[in-house]
Amino acid sequence: MSRKNEAIPGVDWVAGAGRFVSVKKSLCTGCGDCVKVCLGGCFEIRDGKARVKTLSTCMECASCWYACSQDAVSFRWPKGGCGFRTNWG
Amino acid sequence: MNQSNYDVIVIGAGFGGPVAARLCAQAGLSVLLLERGAEVGDKIISGLTIPFYGFVFGPDFIREGNPPIERPVDGIINYILTDIENGRMEIEDTLRVPAPFSPVVAFGYNAYCKPFCQWLAQKAVDAGARLRTSVVVSDFLYENGRIAGVITDGGERISAKIVLNAEGSQGLLAVKAGVREKYPPDTISLADVYDYEMDKADVDRIFGHSLRFCWGWDEQKIAPPLGRGNGLMVWPYRGSLHFMQDQCIRKDDGPVYNLKKALATYHKNVTEKLPWWRDEVAPKVKLRARMWDGFEIFVGLNEKLRDMPNYTDGMLLIGDVAGLENTELCDGVPTAWFSGEIAARVAIEAIQKKDFSASFLKKYSDQVRAHPIIHWSVRARNRYNLRFAQEKHELAELKRCIHEGWGLGAFGHTSSALVKTALPMIQEDPAVIGQWVRLFLRYYYNWHHERFDYNCKKPLVPKRPPTPSRVLALSLKAMDLGLKAASPFLSRTAGTLLPKAQNADRFMQKVLPTAEPIYLAALKATDPLARRLGEAFLKALVNMDPTALDGDSTERSRQ
Repeated sequence: MSRKNEAIPGVDWVAGAGRFVSVKKSLCTGCGDCVKVCLGGCFEIRDGKARVKTLSTCMECASCWYACSQDAVSFRWPKGGCGFRTNWG
Repeated sequence: MNQSNYDVIVIGAGFGGPVAARLCAQAGLSVLLLERGAEVGDKIISGLTIPFYGFVFGPDFIREGNPPIERPVDGIINYILTDIENGRMEIEDTLRVPAPFSPVVAFGYNAYCKPFCQWLAQKAVDAGARLRTSVVVSDFLYENGRIAGVITDGGERISAKIVLNAEGSQGLLAVKAGVREKYPPDTISLADVYDYEMDKADVDRIFGHSLRFCWGWDEQKIAPPLGRGNGLMVWPYRGSLHFMQDQCIRKDDGPVYNLKKALATYHKNVTEKLPWWRDEVAPKVKLRARMWDGFEIFVGLNEKLRDMPNYTDGMLLIGDVAGLENTELCDGVPTAWFSGEIAARVAIEAIQKKDFSASFLKKYSDQVRAHPIIHWSVRARNRYNLRFAQEKHELAELKRCIHEGWGLGAFGHTSSALVKTALPMIQEDPAVIGQWVRLFLRYYYNWHHERFDYNCKKPLVPKRPPTPSRVLALSLKAMDLGLKAASPFLSRTAGTLLPKAQNADRFMQKVLPTAEPIYLAALKATDPLARRLGEAFLKALVNMDPTALDGDSTERSRQ
């Protein structure tokens, strides 16, 4: 099963990806760098800490993982065959 | 039941992995090629011109094959935006294959990643490699301290004598295995890519075969601040455009940028203020897809990162995961092909000698670092240096960087690498010159007729056109005979010139200031005649019998 997002045409998200991006609260300083670099808008700051709001618009670029100076963002690949897919890359 | 033991496991069916897989399989090894997407190419995003040197100097099967390409490219038009509010700009377009050679002799070939990678993966499968998709490698198997296979996200354990890792720039596995560090955010550029549909006739008329790059001052917010990222690029495809803007996650040790906000602003400004986009392109395009991905643009400029290992006991890193991005052209494909080919050679030898130790595999690293084009690709500094000209609004310096990066001045720092790569190939077998000529002719023919391996719209061996042009076919035969007769001489000459190849850059730097204005004036004067000649040449080419263009290894069985 896959979903589309009107604001991001030409891309499907195949269900079953799992929680492949997460934030370790104990390491997060709430600086918001992950929010700033995520073009999919997947993060938000709540109570002074970042959290993953959604992965339904994640393009698996890992910018959040690169940007986090505290190594608070944990990033792995979604389950095989799941997550985003496109024909137009 | 899945096999659990292979000679070679290749991780990633992008651009580099399938090359290594095919060459290992051709050598008779059992090869497993693993891809995390449900289909090959599902996860690959780029605006893609593969430069000519990838095809010319890369693996034989690509040079002699018929991969799906979107458009041959004859050069780059650089727009230097000095006052975007009033639409003022300067143009640098000296890096261009001139008529009558354009667009057959191409600077590179534009392609969508998915069909191209599927073509590469199918070539690996044809050679005997096994391809499995929807498989994520989550960890490695170890044996006596060396990598001896992989563990998948499904918990499957598959052993191998050697693992060739072409997982991509993030390098999650390479970092996990302790081979290299995570790349810092000032080396990573986030590419924001838009795919626009456009009628082929409009692409032909507005863009022809040229890429368009835009450069400008930071505060115009029209192209991402240079050095903190790059420029803005538009690639013409067959019936579509690829538009890419990108920016590094941060500059040096500075703060992380708000890329979400910045890239949205740039795209709005470009589409609404850049005169040729607003007036000519915008009315003709329809947005089809929006995508983004990060790539390791400036890893090669950092000595510590550049010298990070690309091998360990039982594993070699290929392409992006080894940091082999071309800083100047934002292109990692030729370096992925070259490193994939070297990795396959070393893996084959390691298996023959049953030695998978890091001390043996170091020869991979030595050969990758000694490759003249890889060496140049990861070190070129023009794109990086643009930041300084931009910050200070130094137009002359900005123009110099652009001229040396994406104008004729590029020959002042690319010639040695190209000559040093070409001469040993000619020395070994001068017939390769014939392959190069056929490559350019065949790729144009293939593009014109949409004649590609596996999914060609026209068969690889067509019915003869009613009046096939024989002039070119006869010329090619004559060329083959000439090359055969002159082979010993050409081989000897290449060997004699090789020690002098490293002087090519210096020679071009000396000659270009005088030769460039003369060359450009001569082109202008001869242009109308050259264009007529070019048109006649194209007509003959597209009407010829394409079997005369095919390489020896062209596969005709799967059509």
